[in-house]
Amino acid sequence: MNELKKARAEYEAVPVPEELANIVQASIQQGKKNYWQKRLKQGFAVAAACLVLTFGVLNLSPTAAAIAADIPILSGLFQILTVRDFQKQEDGIDYQVSVPEVKAEGALAQQVNAAIQEQVDAHLARAVQDWQDYREAFFATGGTEEEWADREMNVVVDYEIKSQTDTSVSFVVSLAEGWVAAHEERYYYNLDLAQNQNITLQMLLGDDWVQICNDAIQREIAASVDEQGFSMFFPADEGGFVSVDENTAFYISADGTPVVTFPKYAIAAGAAGLPEFPIVVD
Amino acid sequence: MAFVVTQLEKYLIENQARFYRLAYSYLQNREEALDAVQTAVCRALEGRGGLRSAEMMRSWFNRILINICLDMLRQKKRVVTVAPEDLTVGSYEDPLPADETLINRINALSLEEQTIIKLRFFEDLSLKEISEITNVNLNTVKTRLYGALKKLRISMEGEII
Repeated sequence: MNELKKARAEYEAVPVPEELANIVQASIQQGKKNYWQKRLKQGFAVAAACLVLTFGVLNLSPTAAAIAADIPILSGLFQILTVRDFQKQEDGIDYQVSVPEVKAEGALAQQVNAAIQEQVDAHLARAVQDWQDYREAFFATGGTEEEWADREMNVVVDYEIKSQTDTSVSFVVSLAEGWVAAHEERYYYNLDLAQNQNITLQMLLGDDWVQICNDAIQREIAASVDEQGFSMFFPADEGGFVSVDENTAFYISADGTPVVTFPKYAIAAGAAGLPEFPIVVD
Repeated sequence: MAFVVTQLEKYLIENQARFYRLAYSYLQNREEALDAVQTAVCRALEGRGGLRSAEMMRSWFNRILINICLDMLRQKKRVVTVAPEDLTVGSYEDPLPADETLINRINALSLEEQTIIKLRFFEDLSLKEISEITNVNLNTVKTRLYGALKKLRISMEGEII
């Protein structure tokens, strides 16, 4: 038995190359991209036909749109509909776009819809620009047309409803771009459609919200340190987490807990992904 | 689905060092082990439709990784180049010399036996998981494990397995 322990120690003593973390990150992105490409190729014809049909019917008939909207998720004061939904390939870019819209009375829904519209348009325009820049750089550095033809970029716009009640909804719109490097932005919306206002962390956690959030986040960061003293999170004085503020993004999970989120690289190494901290109040 | 992807990503990132060591234990080469991990991670995300539940994640991914390592070994046609000065007396006399360290004796076992020993004792997987990973039924796994332990001249006290 002791000999086995020794063998295990020897097995575990194999040094892990530094570049492993980067390789794993890159492979994850590549794998995701391949997954979508495969699905796109398999389902393209059918999906395109279905989408055209759904999109067309929803736009033509208010009744059909209402029925369709009732089935999946919401009723009552508001509805979340997919207003733009398409998959296409154009100039070497694969698009997978599902844009949500909040259907409700009042100014809040309009503001949110306009904001989403702006974010999506900016994202699509930037993707085309990035791709164009890459293309120019590619040929300027001696790439051939033939090699270029193998290259593809993915542009994904999607949304996810995190939670909802009769009068409120929490959802996230994600905008992603994937080619040599992957890039993702997320926008979180927490809406109270009865009061026509954005839900804030202060409303959920009270006047001490900054302290409550900071304590919860610091606890998680402290808990992430492993036996060797290593943590994916940056120290506070090296660009790590300091404090939440009004601009800190969050969503509301299904059980009503606010979950504070940070963009990739904002407070931790890229391998940590997009850090999330549920703020549980005792 | 998005939930599965997030969990899978988290699992892969958190356990990357383990994957590298396991791959290295088969391939005994830094670059090849990195290559194996890279291929396995990519293939896992690409084929994540094959993952039925989060509980299966560990055995599912290890199966992908090990199959890739074994494929790479087969491609090399099991020709291992060893510099003459690295050859110990034992390496051409007895495939399992008693005076070798245990880790070397494990690496001299058949690939099936190696896999079982490594997964059970180094990766702490259950025999049931090993049976899923190797696609061999549970009783055969047990038999092979006892056979391998015997070859390694390790006696286990009680029912450790």
